[in-house]
Amino acid sequence: MALLARLRESYLLHSFLRDPVAVGSFIVVVLLVTAGFLAPVLAPMNPYDPAQIDVMDSELAPAWIDQDSSFLLGTDSQGRDILSTILYGTRVSVLIGLGAVALQAALGIGIGLISGYAGGRVDAVLMRVADVQLSFSTYMVAIFLGAIFQATFGVGRYEQIAVPFLIAVIGLAEWPQYARTVRASVLAEKKKEYVEAARVIGLPSGRIMWRHILPNTMTPVMVISTVQVANAIMSEAALSFIGLGMPVTKPSLGSLIKSGFEYIFSGAWWITLFPGVVLVLLILTINLLGDWMRDFLNPKLYKS
Amino acid sequence: MKRLLLACLCAAMLCGFAGAAHAKTLKMALDADPVSLDPHVQLSGGMLQYSHICFDPLVRWAKDGSFEPRLAVSWEQIDPLTTRFHLREGVKFHSGNAFTAKDVAWTLERLKQSQDYKFLFELFGPAKVVDDLTVDIVTTKPYGLVLAMATYIFPMDSAFYSGMDDSGQPKDAIVKTGPSFALTNESGTGPFAVTYREQGVKTVFTRFKDYWDTKSPGNVDEIVLTPIKEEATRVAALLSGDVDFISPVPPQDLERVGAHKDVQLVTMSGTRVITFQLNQKRRPEFADKRVRMAVEYAVNNAGIVDKIMKGFATVAAQQSPAGYAGHNPELAPRFDLDKAKALMKEAGYEKGFTVTMIAPNNRYVNDEKIAQAVAGMLAKINIKVELKTMPKAQYWDEFDAQVADIQMIGWHSDTEDTANFFEYLLMCPNKETGSGQYNSGNYCNPELDALVIAANAEFDTAKRTAMLQQAEKMAYDDAAFVNLHWQNNSWAGRKNHKNLEHILNVMDFPYFGDLVVE
Repeated sequence: MALLARLRESYLLHSFLRDPVAVGSFIVVVLLVTAGFLAPVLAPMNPYDPAQIDVMDSELAPAWIDQDSSFLLGTDSQGRDILSTILYGTRVSVLIGLGAVALQAALGIGIGLISGYAGGRVDAVLMRVADVQLSFSTYMVAIFLGAIFQATFGVGRYEQIAVPFLIAVIGLAEWPQYARTVRASVLAEKKKEYVEAARVIGLPSGRIMWRHILPNTMTPVMVISTVQVANAIMSEAALSFIGLGMPVTKPSLGSLIKSGFEYIFSGAWWITLFPGVVLVLLILTINLLGDWMRDFLNPKLYKS
Repeated sequence: MKRLLLACLCAAMLCGFAGAAHAKTLKMALDADPVSLDPHVQLSGGMLQYSHICFDPLVRWAKDGSFEPRLAVSWEQIDPLTTRFHLREGVKFHSGNAFTAKDVAWTLERLKQSQDYKFLFELFGPAKVVDDLTVDIVTTKPYGLVLAMATYIFPMDSAFYSGMDDSGQPKDAIVKTGPSFALTNESGTGPFAVTYREQGVKTVFTRFKDYWDTKSPGNVDEIVLTPIKEEATRVAALLSGDVDFISPVPPQDLERVGAHKDVQLVTMSGTRVITFQLNQKRRPEFADKRVRMAVEYAVNNAGIVDKIMKGFATVAAQQSPAGYAGHNPELAPRFDLDKAKALMKEAGYEKGFTVTMIAPNNRYVNDEKIAQAVAGMLAKINIKVELKTMPKAQYWDEFDAQVADIQMIGWHSDTEDTANFFEYLLMCPNKETGSGQYNSGNYCNPELDALVIAANAEFDTAKRTAMLQQAEKMAYDDAAFVNLHWQNNSWAGRKNHKNLEHILNVMDFPYFGDLVVE
């Protein structure tokens, strides 16, 4: 209760409510994410269960064009309801986005903190590792790991491990963003007096790093995190689009867009258009929220 | 100023003339490019299409089903076992070597070594070279399909392919996977020679200047083949003018392509049957006839034809299309979900099981979507399918290794005769003779084998027809494999391809050497 009251009095809420773009984006993101996670309840059918799909329903137009169609947004080439597939697909996309960012953050913050605080040789080695990692694109990592995974787990197994696999790939490919930001902040913080004071008291380095320095580097981390969630969702969609991500039998937004791509000129435009709109909306609103947060946390813009 | 103007004018005129005399290039986009330059590496539609570009057969099929002389000018049967071919004079290989009867005998010998071809040529003995331009093709038993098989004899340059290559491997080695001399080098007598090849990216065929068929109206100087796997991209490339010829045209785009003002669409009802094989060796469940029957009943092949193929295929209940000797008109497509469930229950698999399935994604029309639809249909009788699709360059290696429980294969009869389907897809697999080379279901019924072998030795047409129809019935009653449909053929070219329809045929072996571009 006290927390709620504090929030109501806070400058954060005040600034948020005064910005209609931020409020609008927030509402859209919350709606999309909730709809995605409630997919099993909300969706008219389960597109991941092949027993519920009937190929005889394939490529039906949205309900307002084709009066006989019982599918609000039409169906794809296999007879999956587009609306249901979008809901399930959003859930997969958000899940992969959040999972990948959690992994990136865990790796990046840990490495950045150690690197910045320890300095010297440790710093040099860790940052060179980050440089090497940055020189590989996400897609190269995905192709490389994908080949290994598929060879190890056999032909059909990939379908079951696709989600953790994508989280691992996107997480491993983009941690250096975090590591560099955190390191830069740590370098700035560690010369400050409160750190000196903590050291004089005789606190162990671990405690100084995690309890004293880390909380003061969180501002940029939060801004990166919002942007990185959007990036991770986009990477997933791109990987799925080129056929390295979610299998066609368990479509995410990206693989749904891909599966409709060859029909876009042949009349069945709805297969690609609707998931595309949802993907754009999701990424745009997350980015707008990130923008607002950056402005809010930037002390130079604080007073103006 | 005047001088400058004159110079500009001259330059413009020169450019104009150069444009008019510019070589005719046919830019072609197919779903995939040849897997190798060695025609004997794989028995497949793609490799035979390639063979017709770079090699010439002894005879080839004409549109009316007769044989058109190519490297053989005439032929006669001199006894029940021997056919004498008189060869064309003055034919040169791309390497410059002269073509003789020796090359024919050498090629036949190589065909008999090829894993894929050896069963087709099992009844053939070594060819006898009579003189430089006469060769006797000998069979060990009287055989009615010698001329049909001669359409598959594309003489190769025996001198060019003899000896050792740099790595110490014989130049004539037939290597399915891995490097070989013939993989990257070719010397045939065909209208075009390969001048550039980057597999999966681009192949350039240049008109062979010493080509023997000077009477051919064909005037294409160069063919640039680019594989485009994505259907929408392939169609867009044609309609935007990036390429001049595509095949296949995806069913969902037939209307749009047909209506375009610069493009002509050619379609023909096809004879290639698309099937799934249920591997009985990997899965004991599939050895149970009731389970196979349940699968057959669960697959709604009429629905696939209707929805995925957009009616651009014929529903199949057997291998032989209408018009073939063995086509049995009594056999009707089966689809009855309740019956399928009852059969699964009867076999004791009511709860179902999980299987793996592989299918190519750039070999047959809509292959990937068909596989997905079938996986969905099997889920309804509680068979959970883990599906993986891949490009055909990888697919056939996996197919041969039988890595999955259910594998897709389409087959076009090499001899335009029913027996060929059985010999390759349903006879007991035998590495020695090569029978059942593409039978990944490991279906084996000695009675059926005996019937087909007996039919091949039968010269009375009516009796042979009855025997082959009986064989189709046996396979049908046994649910030996899953029938889908016979896919139609489709090609699209520019309006200025004057004789496009004439160079295309139901076998899908375009004769590009004869194509006239205005």
